[in-house]
Amino acid sequence: MSSNGPTDLFNMESPTMNAGNHMARTRRRWSSTSKDKRPKLTEMTDGVHEEVETDFISPGQLYSTESGRLFHAGKILIVLVGLPATSKTLLSVAITRYTKWLGVRTSSFHVSEYRRKMTACEDHNNFPTDYFSAKPKTSEGRSKRKQILDKVLDDMLQFFNRDKGQLAVYDALNILVEERVQLDKIFSKMNTKVLFIESVMTDADMIKHNVDMASRSADYVGWSQEAAVSDFMHRLKVNKQLYEEMTPKEQLSYVKYINFGERLIVNNNHFGYLINKIVFFLMNLRDKKGCVYFARCGTSDNDNYIDDELLNSEGTAYSKTLTDLVVKLVNERRAAQATSYPPSMEHATTPSAGSPTKTIGSIGGIENIISPGPSSRSMSPSLSPLLTTHASLKRTESTGNASVRQPVSGDGGDEDSFVVWTAPRKRTFDTARFFDEKGISVRQRSQLQQLHPGVVADMTGSEIRQSYPEEYKEWLKDPYHYRFPRSESYHDLAVRMEPLLLEMERMRGDILVIGHESVLRVLYGYLMACSCSDIPRLCFSRDQVIEISFSPFENKVRRVPIVYENSSCLK
Amino acid sequence: MPVYTVSNVQNLRICVVMVGLPARGKSFISQKIVRYLSWLSIKSRCFNVGNYRRQDAPRPSADFFDASNEEAYKIREQAVTQAVHDMMNWFADEEGVVAILDATNSTRERRNWILKLCRENSIEPMFLESWCDDKDLILRNIADVKTSSPDYKGVNPEDASADFLKRIGKYEQVYQTLDADKDRDLTFVRMINIAEQVIINRVETYLESRIVFYVMNLHIKPRYIWLSRHGESIYNLEKKIGGDSSLSPRGLQYAKKLPEFVRESAGDRDLTVWTSTLIRTQETAQHLPYRQLQWKALDELDAGVCDGMTYEEIEETFPEDFKARDEDKYEYRYRGGESYRDVVIRLEPIIMELERQENILIITHQAVLRCIYAYFMNVPQEESPWMSIPLHTLIRLEPRAYATHVTRLKADIPAVSTYKGKGTSQVGENSSETNKSLHVLTDSNTNN
Repeated sequence: MSSNGPTDLFNMESPTMNAGNHMARTRRRWSSTSKDKRPKLTEMTDGVHEEVETDFISPGQLYSTESGRLFHAGKILIVLVGLPATSKTLLSVAITRYTKWLGVRTSSFHVSEYRRKMTACEDHNNFPTDYFSAKPKTSEGRSKRKQILDKVLDDMLQFFNRDKGQLAVYDALNILVEERVQLDKIFSKMNTKVLFIESVMTDADMIKHNVDMASRSADYVGWSQEAAVSDFMHRLKVNKQLYEEMTPKEQLSYVKYINFGERLIVNNNHFGYLINKIVFFLMNLRDKKGCVYFARCGTSDNDNYIDDELLNSEGTAYSKTLTDLVVKLVNERRAAQATSYPPSMEHATTPSAGSPTKTIGSIGGIENIISPGPSSRSMSPSLSPLLTTHASLKRTESTGNASVRQPVSGDGGDEDSFVVWTAPRKRTFDTARFFDEKGISVRQRSQLQQLHPGVVADMTGSEIRQSYPEEYKEWLKDPYHYRFPRSESYHDLAVRMEPLLLEMERMRGDILVIGHESVLRVLYGYLMACSCSDIPRLCFSRDQVIEISFSPFENKVRRVPIVYENSSCLK
Repeated sequence: MPVYTVSNVQNLRICVVMVGLPARGKSFISQKIVRYLSWLSIKSRCFNVGNYRRQDAPRPSADFFDASNEEAYKIREQAVTQAVHDMMNWFADEEGVVAILDATNSTRERRNWILKLCRENSIEPMFLESWCDDKDLILRNIADVKTSSPDYKGVNPEDASADFLKRIGKYEQVYQTLDADKDRDLTFVRMINIAEQVIINRVETYLESRIVFYVMNLHIKPRYIWLSRHGESIYNLEKKIGGDSSLSPRGLQYAKKLPEFVRESAGDRDLTVWTSTLIRTQETAQHLPYRQLQWKALDELDAGVCDGMTYEEIEETFPEDFKARDEDKYEYRYRGGESYRDVVIRLEPIIMELERQENILIITHQAVLRCIYAYFMNVPQEESPWMSIPLHTLIRLEPRAYATHVTRLKADIPAVSTYKGKGTSQVGENSSETNKSLHVLTDSNTNN
């Protein structure tokens, strides 16, 4: 194998080595003596805040127009509107992540980040406290505010004019009509459409949660929790009095986003597809309690692309260990999060998210009407291995009571859900067998089918170089977009997988994705905002589970080792 | 274990309850949703209360719809009860997933009745209101209704319009719109003047969000979609499937003729050409003077290990696979390749894009074309893989509010037939005696 650049093409396994010796292969890839320049997952941080380069091409780009802009949408400024603690930052980061992935040159502009950076060297005791009001009363507050907002405005203009930006996301209060009119005026003049997204929160629990989060933010390092909350509440109160909610009278295009997506109101929607796509995205965006886990599938005897095999004994040992490990990780986190809920009830008899079929039978009076779902299997009545949470208890209470809203029956609607996704290949769904046995929902998803390697299936780098020298050269130049004859490129794969990203956004609980490395690369690439040049080079080995957790400003990765019997060949 | 196309639909049942005055495009939206979801293999059906009512009152006048007309009210009540009854049975007996209740459902009382029934039966109700005060839009809709509604069969258009307006007036007297406050606990969508303002309330499943997104992308501007297979290829001549071969001399002739051929059908309209990434579609498009885009998703169904073989060779080498494919062609997945279902899944973004685009010419392959055609013409899954779509033929689709019109233009350039009937390894239209799907392109010009 070549030691320069990416060598593992599409197939993680190189068929030149004996079957059954997968871990040895894996080790080779990860060994520290390797000159491989592949980015290591451990060092990867969420790329959502990285600047987009001028020649930046994004993972999911369907096609671009001559102007280099997608969807004939032209330039767009998205302006967040809302009081402090209404998840504006989370929204702007999520939109930036998604549109960047779609191929739109997007950048987010967070005023709070600007403020922190611009005042880093200043004496914080002298910082004008009424800066945080949309209308500061002191002249120091006013000038500081103007100074910072002007800088953001400048940068956004430059992003459009100099850096060929297509979409800027402006994260600031913007709670005054006058501010919004001003923005609309400036940007409309330069042929940039302005869309306002107003986040409104009326739900007391959500506000409390957000205030709590804010009091732990970078602004309050070294403060006592109480002092931080009270300071933040003051910011909130001052602005609440000034807040002018958006109405159709302003004649602006806006989306009202109420209680984190409980209700969306789209007004003056004349922007077409890109905005519709963002609305679709917002419909699915949820505040996540759980994590996304990635794992490779276990090994089978031949491990060739074309064979569709069940696991061999090593693969089975791997999947057993994987099952126990992920269940343990999920339970550990739930136990930690459950401090505000009733004590853990590991062996409670309430039906859990993992076995929705069981709840059906218990609904009063419907047995004769509803036959079992199209695919419900006769599942053993085993108790779920997952901790019961507040959400599962609440769900049990309301099920079957026609006078109240019924709990969601789709996957992942509740924060205590846990779903395993696999590809439709035997190898991958066989890896999920033990989850299924434990009563955890396992879903085969056609979109998770691995990247089609075309003519180079099961070939090593050197074999390809020999058989397809010209193609190989081309591929080295752009491994993300290049297609070997009859193969899919990573880009094709990403487009095919897009619906899954949105489903993933909607799921509030935990998801484990068991798939081929190519598929994991694309999903990871989305969640961590990797660039096209990184994605084909990401590595996922069978000795680690990847855990991605969500936070408003950026996502975080943790790698947990999988240790099982056969992995002894590693040492 | 089944493979799901959209979301996990296990144990998920959705009832889309349409809400709106007559002539607000409810039936158009209902039919589109059913078509889209059925195409994605999500079992869905529209229950149109008007059709139930017509059994007892085939051609009623506007007075029939007066809320104070007790006798008529009874008939209308019966119709709705029967429709909902049938819908519930359909959910239970046929494992339905998404039902559309296409009626005005104009009062809160009626909607609460449906809501309660849904909740009692573990069905998620989603109310979808089309609200419109744009006079032009309404008049355009009325024009469509008076020519297509069975209620006005044989009535002269002016009388029909006048009566219909009167009917709308009767409904307006009792109509209660969805209310942001009173209905806050429901899953509902309010579309105001098509999609000028959209209110989306408590959409809690991915499938529902998908339906809303789809509806938001619909437009009713007049436009055409042209479909063509690539010209005859070397592999076609050799009776081989798959591959990435060039065009035959006759195929190249078709490519040469295509610009003129398209112009005959399209006139001076501007259009965009979409091709697959394979050589034969690009060669076919090479002389076309329009903007061209390549889509990987338009590549031919991947035959896996059978790629590059003739049907005879497949029958010989993989006799069991050969038989299995004929038995369930839609679901059969070639070893290491794809099934028709897989193709449909990868085509979904293309369909969404097509819905919002205007004039598009698609040059693609037999199986892919069957799938796209099936979407626009509502061809059931059992039939679509068996449709005959000859080479060197241009199909023009004209999506209209209540149906898609098809015109088929045959280029006068001979080509081999690549059609393979059930139970044979021979290709050619004549090789199959019992092929009920051949008519799909030859006999019918519209679908319903």
